Amino acid sequence: MTAARDREARRFRPGPTALLAFYPRAWRRRYGDELDALILEMQADGRDTGARVRANLLQAAARERLHGSGDSRERMRGGACLLLWAWALFVVGGSIVAKTSEHWQQALPAAPDASAAFSALTWIAVGVAIAVACGIALALPATLSLLRDGGWPRLRMRVLTAAGLSVAAIGATAALLTWAHTLSASARNGHDVVYGCAFLAWVALLTASLLAWTALATRITAGVRLTRPVLRIHAWLVPAVAVAMAAMTVATLVWWATVAGEAPAALTGGSRMAHASPLVPALVLAAVLMLVATSLAGLGANRAMSAHREL
Amino acid sequence: MPTKSRTNDPPLLILTSLASGEKHGYALLQDIERFAGATLGPGTLYGAITRLEERGMIEPLPGSGRRRPYRLTAAGAEELRVALADLRAIADEGQRRLTARIAVAGAPA
Repeated sequence: MTAARDREARRFRPGPTALLAFYPRAWRRRYGDELDALILEMQADGRDTGARVRANLLQAAARERLHGSGDSRERMRGGACLLLWAWALFVVGGSIVAKTSEHWQQALPAAPDASAAFSALTWIAVGVAIAVACGIALALPATLSLLRDGGWPRLRMRVLTAAGLSVAAIGATAALLTWAHTLSASARNGHDVVYGCAFLAWVALLTASLLAWTALATRITAGVRLTRPVLRIHAWLVPAVAVAMAAMTVATLVWWATVAGEAPAALTGGSRMAHASPLVPALVLAAVLMLVATSLAGLGANRAMSAHREL
Repeated sequence: MPTKSRTNDPPLLILTSLASGEKHGYALLQDIERFAGATLGPGTLYGAITRLEERGMIEPLPGSGRRRPYRLTAAGAEELRVALADLRAIADEGQRRLTARIAVAGAPA
């Protein structure tokens, strides 16, 4: 009988216990062994560890991922870091929308729905940028303390990388602008292959610079010791920014749908094609980035709100 | 015959179980089944243990092998006392209303 149970336990081994991989790493480090032992004990005792237990583990793992691990300060840090990465992705998506929407108003001057959606997108973006800047400014005193207390050696490489990439991006912007002034509008909009490649390299440089600053900000967030009032303000800012990002995503989709319905050529810089497709690859990429960023921000907001109750 | 009514609030069940002494995960599961008739999934059990430990209601003790027993803290005992008092108040009120209803239904027309 015992041998049969042992065989059963071995047969199930890759099943429910393997689902522990879906839990956050920090949670697994703390409770993974215990939960694994519990499941094996259940199996050895002849209990059902089939579909219901698997579903229960998956549900619980998703809840832990949503909740985040650690005490309220750690969850708040986790939520803020997620939001910073989400905002960086959102800025990349938003920049693509800004570039794609350069000339739409000339092609579609009387479109109140598209104008309202675009204005909403612009004003909310300004508001969110101010909110993110305020959140960073509130963390500055604690960041200075971190640097004074020996944090500089840990941050030096990231600071130098981010600053170096920014200097390179500024130089590349100046060079590209100078070059663009010598080109015709059609050459700037895809007919000059060399300029097109240089433009893509410039975009990659700007993105790398933004991501490097975000990596630095998340490293600082992990190291600083913020006061309780600042943590409470951050716990309000994180969900507010997440909601604003959702609103901007909706505004972008409304603007896109409206322009696509009335003047799809306006989305491709005034294409003269009889049936210009509204599914512009750049806008599809922007929409995907914005949706992913909004989901990440929602996750961050959930962690911040769960931490806020205990702060 | 009416079925036995059972509470299914995992944190309350865990605190109640630990009130009689320290237990590890599987012992908790078995004890809860015994006194409440509720079978908690392993994910639900450890989710509730995580939250209770975060809130300082229970604490882990050094374990043998991969099992780790938990025990109730003073804060956990107080939380359990308040939760049980709330439940008792609801049960008393429910009983009072039910008795009144039976009395009205049983009264001669």
